[in-house]
Amino acid sequence: MLAVPGGPYSAERNLPPELEANFKHRYRTDLPWYEQYTFDLSRDLTGDLGMSSRLQDFSVNQVIKEGLPISASLGIFALFFAIVLGLSAGIVSALYRGSIADFSLMSLATVGIAIPSFVVAGLAIMLFVFVIPIFPAAGWGTLRQLVLPSLCLGLAYAAEIARITRTGMLDALSQDYVRTARAKGLSEFMVAIRHALPTALLPVVSYLGPAVAGILTGSVVIEKIFAIPGLGWHFVQAALQRDLTLAMGLVLLYTVLLYTMNFIVDLSYGILDPRVELK
Amino acid sequence: MFGRTVFLIVMVVTGLAAVAWAVYGSRLAPADFSFTNETEIATVDPALATGQPEMRIIQSLFEGLGRQSPKDTHFAPGAAEKWEISEDGRVYTFHLRHDARWSNGEPVTARDFSYSIRRLLDPLTYSRYAYEGWYLVNGKKYTLASELAAGDPVEIEMNLAAGVPNTVRGELLLGKLVRREASAAKSNATAAKGDDAEPKQDIFVVEIDGKERRFKVAEATDRVPKDVERCRQVLLDFREVGLKVIDDYTLELRLTNPTPYFLDLLAYYPLAPVNQACVEKYGSPDWLRPEHIVTNGPFRMVARRLRDRVRLVRSDTYWDRENVKLNVVDALSVDDRTTAFNLYMTRMVDWDTVPPAEVLRELLKEPRNDLNPAPQLTTYYFLLNTTRPPLDDKRVRQALSMAIDREEVTRVATGAGEIPAYSLVPPSMPGYHKQECKPFDPAAARKLLAEAGFPEGQGFPRIEILYNTDQAHQAIAELIRKQWQNNLGITATLRNEEWGSYQDSIQQLKFTVARRAWVGDYMDPNTYADMFVTGGENNNTGFANPEYDKLISDAATEVDKTKRMELLEKSERMLMDEQPIIPVYFYVSRNMVRPWVRGFYNTLQDVHPIRDIWIDRSVKQDDPRPNEYMEPVK
Amino acid sequence: MSQPEDLSITLTTAAEKSATGVSLGRDAWRRLRRNRMAMVCLGTLIAITALALFTPLLPLAPPDKHHTNLQYEPPKFSPLFERTYDFDWKSVEESQSRIAELEQKLASADKREANKITLEMENILLRPYRDAGYPTVGAISRWMIRVRSHVFGDINLASFAGRDEFGRDLLSRVFWGARISIVVGIVATLVSLLIGVTYGAVSGYVGGWLDEVMMRFVDILYSIPFIFVVIFIITVLSDEKIKSRLQDMGIDRITIFYFVVGAIYWLTMARVVRGQVISLRTEPFIESAKALGASQTRIIALHILPNLLSVVIVYLTLTIPRVMLFEAFLSFLGLGVEPPDVSWGLLANEGIKVITPVKIYWWLIVYPSLALGVTLYALNFLGDGLRDALDPRLASRRS
Repeated sequence: MLAVPGGPYSAERNLPPELEANFKHRYRTDLPWYEQYTFDLSRDLTGDLGMSSRLQDFSVNQVIKEGLPISASLGIFALFFAIVLGLSAGIVSALYRGSIADFSLMSLATVGIAIPSFVVAGLAIMLFVFVIPIFPAAGWGTLRQLVLPSLCLGLAYAAEIARITRTGMLDALSQDYVRTARAKGLSEFMVAIRHALPTALLPVVSYLGPAVAGILTGSVVIEKIFAIPGLGWHFVQAALQRDLTLAMGLVLLYTVLLYTMNFIVDLSYGILDPRVELK
Repeated sequence: MFGRTVFLIVMVVTGLAAVAWAVYGSRLAPADFSFTNETEIATVDPALATGQPEMRIIQSLFEGLGRQSPKDTHFAPGAAEKWEISEDGRVYTFHLRHDARWSNGEPVTARDFSYSIRRLLDPLTYSRYAYEGWYLVNGKKYTLASELAAGDPVEIEMNLAAGVPNTVRGELLLGKLVRREASAAKSNATAAKGDDAEPKQDIFVVEIDGKERRFKVAEATDRVPKDVERCRQVLLDFREVGLKVIDDYTLELRLTNPTPYFLDLLAYYPLAPVNQACVEKYGSPDWLRPEHIVTNGPFRMVARRLRDRVRLVRSDTYWDRENVKLNVVDALSVDDRTTAFNLYMTRMVDWDTVPPAEVLRELLKEPRNDLNPAPQLTTYYFLLNTTRPPLDDKRVRQALSMAIDREEVTRVATGAGEIPAYSLVPPSMPGYHKQECKPFDPAAARKLLAEAGFPEGQGFPRIEILYNTDQAHQAIAELIRKQWQNNLGITATLRNEEWGSYQDSIQQLKFTVARRAWVGDYMDPNTYADMFVTGGENNNTGFANPEYDKLISDAATEVDKTKRMELLEKSERMLMDEQPIIPVYFYVSRNMVRPWVRGFYNTLQDVHPIRDIWIDRSVKQDDPRPNEYMEPVK
Repeated sequence: MSQPEDLSITLTTAAEKSATGVSLGRDAWRRLRRNRMAMVCLGTLIAITALALFTPLLPLAPPDKHHTNLQYEPPKFSPLFERTYDFDWKSVEESQSRIAELEQKLASADKREANKITLEMENILLRPYRDAGYPTVGAISRWMIRVRSHVFGDINLASFAGRDEFGRDLLSRVFWGARISIVVGIVATLVSLLIGVTYGAVSGYVGGWLDEVMMRFVDILYSIPFIFVVIFIITVLSDEKIKSRLQDMGIDRITIFYFVVGAIYWLTMARVVRGQVISLRTEPFIESAKALGASQTRIIALHILPNLLSVVIVYLTLTIPRVMLFEAFLSFLGLGVEPPDVSWGLLANEGIKVITPVKIYWWLIVYPSLALGVTLYALNFLGDGLRDALDPRLASRRS
């Protein structure tokens, strides 16, 4: 990692040779790269992720402490929107299959996947901040400021979830046990919700893994446009500025998060699978 | 089924609760005054900052001997209430006011200034503005240990014990330098590895209390020869520097040369005081955290959130707190110009520092009560790396300059009516006659390029234009690329880097052509001219001309005002002829400020001390009375 | 770990089909033909690709020609044609003679000199095109431009899509942007396909502990936010010294894209292919091939790979949109293609940048988004249609 040219220190003044030697020693850039790498790793494993080299007054841990709750809430909210919108659209589409509602919802869903998120965000700002002024333009601090960014972030995933739900529902609705339920005289709605939905949920749950990954990375765009001080934006800036300690710390954090999320998803999959007997 | 539903519900509720906690847990009450501060600031340490966004905050937190007055940014009393200047202009005596206090209640004394200025000069602080202290006698020699020679009184700072904060000074030994011994391996190493070589440290032989001792700058883990002691650094004895604490409230500064703008320099933030106890207790950078920092300015910093905001609250220990009207101020760090403008339009901020060009162009079609473009003391120019062929040929540089249509640039890529520039020093510099480079002339440019060996651009290598990431800089670079292609037939590519990397690249001359802008630090042409002395820290072009250096140093010692200006004008004429830089345009004020913001003046240096700003609640958006910002600028 | 797509369901059909000997392809194609929407999408995609390929032939303005006095001009429909095209034929002819000179020099030059001379030759060749406002174009495109200039003379289509910040014709830029976006999409996907298929096939076929290890590796990589790594790599490769050395070797930002972006998307492909190969491996026809003494390579090449085709094709049509969106994402960060090249992502980004509450230059965002949206929509729909065509059981539930 420290083989990156350009170095981490942004010295605006030409340092005299003695100072430069001093400085290299202080930041340990005078060691061969493999020694530096092990040093960082061993320090990282103790929980101290080091000092950011570009943000002079912050340590990596501080950056994470400030940014993680923000990104996490943005992500959770976006996921929430994605699931709620996606599920509803998918269920409605499946129930009213072949109708105009079905066609338009599915087309909308495909459109949601085909447009870059920053375009959606830009248009959404125009529409919901200036044309119909209901949401604040940017910033972080109130729940209202969270709505528009989460919507923009979650839209693409809502679209994907809608498609998956629809397929899953249609699949479940043609199964034998559902036909049995119908024969028992239950209304179509009850049949859908109580019997078809749990099975249909499974592929949605398994999609959540990649969805979370996508939301983590997609948050970069949204955070920049809405001026939200989250980890995604910190990461991009770290990479663009070659702030190696911060970049490495965040990659480590993301990897841990993703791994955990995938683990939880697998766990949920196991719990929710109706074919599995819960003791 | 039941278990599964419960599981789902628990997950959902936990998720939403987490969101609510994250959002409401960190809520802040609204501020009296908010503004967009261009970007996330690098630091609030006065010795380490360099940019304008940092300046706006630091200026509110720390107060130097003087402060910049809101109307014309000239020196006004700050921590010092009166001062005397000697006949020859070299000795300044400041009398500090007795009621100036730090935010922890302690009085601000002359010792604080002594500590802070020494810290600024200390090479271990790595201050980028150390040279502001070089006006003092021996200031430069203190910072650059390489200038130490036999016979100089020196101070030797010993290494710190483990666990001691890095801002504390080690034990000091005072003595006299007998000689320096170059390390034997030095010459070989530097020859072999080139500029990446690590310079070996010298051995300093110092006489202390009659005995000769040998020292080398080394850490405890480094190997040193047997009779050599390790130390942290070897510097000139600070008592040799032209700064003297006469008593608690009297400070004497002695300059090498009479410097007419020295007072304005003192109002600038690098020479502001920092609290020694605080700095030494917490170390750097922890002392800068809101819960630790001790400041003496009109505001205190109560919160600093990365890429969100810095929250300032009126200080109740500041000597002039009666006249500070704002209570809570938020400086938002918004990178994206359009987002910043959106915040302004939705009234979430009252001052937008840099609106986007398209917006400005549209808005200026009709008169506004919140936008008043007026000339500023800032020049936008391109650096040419004269160490890289073919830019080492003067004709090539001049050709590049003459092929740029500055009118087109200011018409297309900027929005507030910026002024095309053919000189480095802006026309708004008082008492100075402008010295211009050759105007836009594509035919003459082609002829020059042909003379230099590149007829019609044949054989001219591909060059790269570097700029720091920003919409406006990208547009300008793109235009210039096209102009060079059309007018000279050469190919250019663009490269953008973030502010930090960009500064790095410029500093290390890792570019061919790079964009730059310079705000005058004080109202004197020297702030532009002395950048380009050989090896100057802000030269960044490889331009090295002994005649130029002589002109600058002569101007520094010249007492007659007219002669001095003539020397500076002559130096700029030389600069415009050699063309290591290509001036492009002069900035114009593009701040957007709501009518109810008062005490905000359109200043040449774009400095608007928050201390002097206040909100007039009685003013509405369409109030016909203009505020101070809208007053016509002469 | 969690299952990716439900593509694994198609495997039974493919194996069944192979076993019964009915050509999979013909059957699937027939089913696809019946899906009208999918055929419309296929037709659209073919049309877009054709237009992109033949863009230099069309009577459009060059994409990089500045007309700064026409900055931000809104879409114009009359007069339909303008006479503003300007192509310098003389310099094309002149350059021929200079090229001949340089070719002589090239014959007698050493390696380093040869490099420089080749670059110089390229510069001379491209010069008249660059001056006219074209990006770096290859030999075929240059020929097409010359043909266009002959056929249409100085006639240009009016700027139906308006002009941008520098007065450049947006319609032309959308067409030229298609070339890069589509190529990036296809090539990067192919790269990921190559890596993914090889990896997954080997892992699935060999099985045992190697398979375990290889899949664990994929699992680990899955958790790394590769997108960030890509950003990092591109930033590193943009460093001055490295970039100039790469450019001397002929590798520019776009080439870096192909490999780096392709390297992200191979993971899912590897998993899917592995799943397919595992089920295929135990099929009777494979067993009989083995019994007949066919070598491992022969089995993989002749029996397994063709059966992967269906999965791979579907995956292709679904990955290309993701790649194109990723390119747009990189353009948003400023790491996309560089001027004078133009891509849809770059155009979308430029369009969004100028949306302000004061003035909206709507054409700058509508047309590129439309182009991108229609293409991606068509690809997604076609992908769905292909999936249905290759697995009829799924289709009946889906439609």
